Amino acid sequence: MKFLLLILSLFCFGVLGAETDSAKSFLERLSKSLRELNFTTSFVVVKNNQVAPYHWLHGLGADNQELEIFTRLNGSRRDILRRGDIVSYIEPEKEAYSVISKNIQGPIPAIFRGNISQLEANYRFISVGRSRVLGRVAQLVRIVAKDKYRFSYWLWLDQQTGLLLKMAVVTRKGQVLEQVQFTHIEVNEKLLESLDKFQTADLPAIVKVNPLQKYQALGWQVSWLPEGFAVVKSNTHNLSGYNQDADKAVEFVMLSDGLIDVSVYVNTSRESFMAPEYASDGATIVFNHILQGVEVGIVGKIPLVTARKIAESIVALPVNNAAQPIDIFEGDTK
Amino acid sequence: MSEIKSESISSLVDNYSPSSDDGVSTHLIDNLLKDDDSFSAWQNYHLIGDVLRDEVPQSLQLDLSEKIVTAIAQEATILSPNLSSTKTHDIIVENEILVTENNIDDEQIEYSASDSRVVSLKTRIKAKLTSSLKPLGQVAIAASAALLMIGGVQNNIVDNSLVVPNQIIQTVPLSGYANPVSFNVQAPQFVPNYQRQQSLQQEKKDKALEHRLAQQRRLQALLKDHSHQVKLGNDIK
Repeated sequence: MKFLLLILSLFCFGVLGAETDSAKSFLERLSKSLRELNFTTSFVVVKNNQVAPYHWLHGLGADNQELEIFTRLNGSRRDILRRGDIVSYIEPEKEAYSVISKNIQGPIPAIFRGNISQLEANYRFISVGRSRVLGRVAQLVRIVAKDKYRFSYWLWLDQQTGLLLKMAVVTRKGQVLEQVQFTHIEVNEKLLESLDKFQTADLPAIVKVNPLQKYQALGWQVSWLPEGFAVVKSNTHNLSGYNQDADKAVEFVMLSDGLIDVSVYVNTSRESFMAPEYASDGATIVFNHILQGVEVGIVGKIPLVTARKIAESIVALPVNNAAQPIDIFEGDTK
Repeated sequence: MSEIKSESISSLVDNYSPSSDDGVSTHLIDNLLKDDDSFSAWQNYHLIGDVLRDEVPQSLQLDLSEKIVTAIAQEATILSPNLSSTKTHDIIVENEILVTENNIDDEQIEYSASDSRVVSLKTRIKAKLTSSLKPLGQVAIAASAALLMIGGVQNNIVDNSLVVPNQIIQTVPLSGYANPVSFNVQAPQFVPNYQRQQSLQQEKKDKALEHRLAQQRRLQALLKDHSHQVKLGNDIK
């Protein structure tokens, strides 16, 4: 009897192990499908009772060059086009521009088509079970944050193709902040005509990136970060879209843990103190406060407690030590 | 009335001819038209049938006009002009007895008679005036309330356009700009001191609103810049 129980418990542990393994394998299958299949999808992003529909096309062109198009269907035209290593952003407010990057920063996190093992240090992958989404059999896989300073991502993956059917950004308590629901999925054998034409189309000019824009020594640093976050970019630039105030220049640092990007904006202020003010756009929080004459703004898909802690941990670097090295995050998602 | 007759009438009511013989039924119908008893029986049978079938209207339209006319004739009239006239009549009658005593009484009588008439006229005019002014007063109150509301609403509209809510932003602790719109009747009766207090409060509220707007603009600018910076990426070459 005891022997049987022992065997059963071992079996259970084995199954648990298999679960996490299977969750990771599902995510790896997602990554593969996103990179290799020709698909046409439509999805809807839901946040704050606002709904935004998108078209998402992907295919492999000549020489296996990846072609990808995101189009927002409501409101003014907002497109993201990718051909190989060049990503073009067409937005209504500014002139279209391109950057050299393999990843599209759009409604779907870019890490899903990359190497998911990069997230293993900070997130747990849990496979939960099957359900029916979009009329298809879907597997629910949860990317759960290991600490309380991040949100979790729940993904429903298609059993048949491995593609994403639904995604939700969820708090630790299970409250859904943002959702992406796919409304149409079609996997094609051949490349779509529109993508075919896109192969030869002209793309907007590539933005020239000053190396100083990537890493610039600043007079302050963030002394507390959640586990796994690192500085990936730091520079000084003008806050676009602000009012006609003369001091719009801000010092900026971007932090990332592979899945989430957080921006930190620091500038001096005329006031010496202001209580924290924040607003949320789905899962993205915009947090702002003034402490000792320094205005700090934090933007990212993090809970309020994280934003507050980061803002309060900003310390000035000693003047003669301004060139203290800051970690540069080395993660090139393939 | 004979049983046979009533039976045949009831069958007529039910739309059945009492006999197969046409001649009999026409004879019966002729009698119905002439005979009062049969006619009343016909009426009763129909009423009975309606009541049984519950098809009687809620109010029975009975012919009561005659009864009402007689009742009115018997009632004492209580209309005010008539009252005063009857009263003065009485006074005059009473005072006629006293007339011999005093000549002044005549005048008094006349005066009192005309007075009561005038008084009654006054009350009537008063009643008319108040009844016509009441709606005016109500309209005045409504107009002042509407004016306040429009002023308040316009204020609000102006503020919203300044903020330009990029529709995706949703502020969390925004206590809101409270507009004092009162629909009470107290609105038109402003005390000067209260007005001064209002303007001071208004200034404070304006400042607070300006601050809020500046904050909202900053938050929106931060969000916009963040999405731009994210797009510029961290692995650009």
